[in-house]
Amino acid sequence: MSMFNRNDKETDVSAPDKPRDVTSASVAAMPKPVQPVAASAPAPDLSSAKSAGPSVISKALKITGQLESTEDIRIDGEVEGDIHGVSVTVGHGAKVKGSVYGQTVELAGTIEGKIEAKKVILTSTAHMSGDVIHQDIRIESGAYIDGHCRPGTNKTDYKPAVKPN
Amino acid sequence: MGTVMPIAPSRRLLRPPRTEGSPGALSSHLSKAITIKGDLESDGELHINGIVHGQICADRLVIGPGGYLEGDVIARDVHIEGRMEGRIFALNVTLDSSAEVNGRIFHNTITVAKGARIDARMPWRPPSYFETLETLPEARQ
Repeated sequence: MSMFNRNDKETDVSAPDKPRDVTSASVAAMPKPVQPVAASAPAPDLSSAKSAGPSVISKALKITGQLESTEDIRIDGEVEGDIHGVSVTVGHGAKVKGSVYGQTVELAGTIEGKIEAKKVILTSTAHMSGDVIHQDIRIESGAYIDGHCRPGTNKTDYKPAVKPN
Repeated sequence: MGTVMPIAPSRRLLRPPRTEGSPGALSSHLSKAITIKGDLESDGELHINGIVHGQICADRLVIGPGGYLEGDVIARDVHIEGRMEGRIFALNVTLDSSAEVNGRIFHNTITVAKGARIDARMPWRPPSYFETLETLPEARQ
């Protein structure tokens, strides 16, 4: 990245040597002190820092299609389609239309579809329309659920998404 | 009376510029473990380190090293450090030295770092072209 950054450090080097007239106009015209240029400092590289962490679908993002991950997913936005993950968290205000598969599914938002997971947590703000297939479930007071809650057999065992390449 | 055809509400592909809110709250990260088949629409920033097949509309798109996109992008800013196959429609495009791009790059300003692998036409367009884009032109072979 450093190649894109112009070296602005040299621009105002001569400024302090100028004779100083004590008129207010010249004071106003004085060049501002050179700040440590943001461009010269390496920008925090969020992309590589986050590349290994969980995937975050922010509230500004809407996805129409299928998501598959071999790691954790956090959804605060909107997804229309199926989600396969290890630990899937659907945050408060998030909306999912489709099936959610995972080892652990925690719901604080809305799902219209199905949950199939070993461990399911429906928090107090959860809104679940559809079936929940689970081995271990926790439903907090206040959660809305419209659908069957049934314990899954071994066949509901989490199938990890095949990682391409 | 009945002769007037209802005009379909025009829907611009380029997301309106972000006005308020902390950028962090609107930023989405797709880790390298994720694969998405489908379309993504975001009013904020989108970082891709995984694999996406589909169309993306975003305010700012970053394809990180290791990220791969197959499909078209419409965004204000596009920064590519990974691989991409498809078309870019963006006001500002930055291709890092590790970028690998195949397709077309419709841009207003573009920066290409030394070392980037590009097999693409790069047509220049005025900003109004991107602001008023409603449907993508047909892909030509």
